Amino acid sequence: MLKRLLIWLLGLVLLLSLAGPVKAADKVMVEFFHSSACSHCIKEKAFLKELDKEYRGMKVESYEISQPYSQRLWQEAGERLGVEVGSVPFTVIGDKHWTGFNEETIGKEIEAAVLEALGELEEESASEAGRLKLPFVGKVDPKTLSLPILTFLVALLDGFNPCAMWTLLFLISLLLGMKDRKRMWLLGLTFIVTSGLIYFLVLAAWLNVFLLVGLVKWVRLAIGIFALGAGGWALRDWWKNRDGGCEVVGEEKRDRVFGRLKKVVKKQELLWAMLGIVVLAVVVNMVEFVCSAGLPAVYTQVLAMNNLPAVKYYLYLVFYILIFMLDDMVVFGIAMVTLKAVGIESKYARWSRLIGGLVMLGIGLAMLFKPEWLSFS
Amino acid sequence: MKVLKFGAVWCSGCLVMRPRWQEIETEMPELKTEYYDFDKDKQKVKEFKISDGKLPVFVFVDKKGKELVRVSGERGKEELVELIEKHKDK
Repeated sequence: MLKRLLIWLLGLVLLLSLAGPVKAADKVMVEFFHSSACSHCIKEKAFLKELDKEYRGMKVESYEISQPYSQRLWQEAGERLGVEVGSVPFTVIGDKHWTGFNEETIGKEIEAAVLEALGELEEESASEAGRLKLPFVGKVDPKTLSLPILTFLVALLDGFNPCAMWTLLFLISLLLGMKDRKRMWLLGLTFIVTSGLIYFLVLAAWLNVFLLVGLVKWVRLAIGIFALGAGGWALRDWWKNRDGGCEVVGEEKRDRVFGRLKKVVKKQELLWAMLGIVVLAVVVNMVEFVCSAGLPAVYTQVLAMNNLPAVKYYLYLVFYILIFMLDDMVVFGIAMVTLKAVGIESKYARWSRLIGGLVMLGIGLAMLFKPEWLSFS
Repeated sequence: MKVLKFGAVWCSGCLVMRPRWQEIETEMPELKTEYYDFDKDKQKVKEFKISDGKLPVFVFVDKKGKELVRVSGERGKEELVELIEKHKDK
C-alpha cells in the first residue's frame, strides 16, 4: 500500500515535470477580403505586404471574394462584427474593421490597430510564459504551485519519521489483540485524529504569532538561522543513519505511556476508553511537539509571509497535517485491514530527510538574504 | 550457531525486519533463532547490552553462547544470509 502511495505521489511529480510551457496566442491576425479587379485592393495588398515585413508578429490572411469559401468567410465576418458587407477591400483586425482603403487614413488606422494588438499579445504571452499546462488540470501558475509543494516537502520532513510513531505502534500492538474490530478502528482513529488536531492547533498558534510579529526583521532572521540549522541536522541524519533502526532512549517515559495505554485500552466502556485515548494523545503529542517545534515554526513563518486570505492559511495547515500524518494513517490502515503490525522502511524516511533538509536550507538562505522569494502569492 | 533477535513492538524497523527473518527461517529450517522483546525480556537485554544502541539488534552466538557478531538496524536479507552461512558451523 505504501508502495502504491509512493507511486501515486511519483506520478504527480512526473505529471508536473511532463507539463510543458503554454504557447501564447501566435500572431495578430489581419483578415483581408479583396477582389483582383479592384484597384484599392491592389494598393492595400502592397501596403499589407510592407506592414507584414515590418511587424513579424502579424499575419495577413487574404481572401479573394470570388471564391465561395472566401465569400462565406466574408459574410461570417460581417455577421460577427454586425455590419453589412458589400464592398472590398474589407479588412478585419480583432473587433475592428475597415471598408475601402487609402494609405493616409485607413492605412494608418490599420497600422495602429496592428501595433495595439501586438502590445496586448506581448502582455498576454508574458503572463502566459510562466504558466504550466498540466494534463487534466489545465493552466497553472508555478508561483501558485510553489507553496503547496513547499508545504508537502516540509510536512513530509516533519512527519515521516518511523521512530517517532512509537506510541501508535504500541497502541496497534494492543489493538491487534482485541476481537472487536469496530472498537479497534474507533480507538486507533481517536488517537490519530486527536494527534492531528493537537498538531493543527499548535501550528495555528504559531501562524498567528507570526502574523503578528513575523514581519519584524529579527524574527525572520532568527527563523532563517534556525531553518539552516534544521536543514543541516536533517542532512546529517540522512548521512549518518543509513542502517535505519530506532534509538533506544527515554525508557522511563515510554514505560509510563505504555502502562497508561494498556489501562485505557482495557476499559470496558468504549466511551471512557476513547476519552482516555484522547487525553493520552494530547499529553504524548504535547511532549513530542517540543522535540519538533522547529519545522512548524519555520513553515508557519513562511506561510505568514504570504499574504493569503484567512481561510487559505488554515487550508494549508490542514494539508500540512494530512501529509504529516500520512505515515501514521498508512501504518494504522494496513494493520487494521491485515491484522498485522507493519513498519515503514527507514529508506523512505531517509529520502524525506535529504529532500526536506535541502528545502530547509533553501528556506533558511532565502529568509536571510532574499525573503521576497518566499512570498509566492 | 544461533541468532538472538532483539526488537520491540513500538520499533518500526523491528516490524520491517519481521517478514525478512520469516523468509530466511522458512528457507533455512535448520537455523535456530530466538526472539526477545526489549520491554519484556529485561534480563537478556541487559546481558547483551542492547540498551546502548539501536533496535532491532541481531546477535549471532556460537554453540556455547559466546557472541560471534552482531548487527543492528534494518538489514537486507542477503547480508543476513551471508552472515549465517559464514558462522553456521560455529
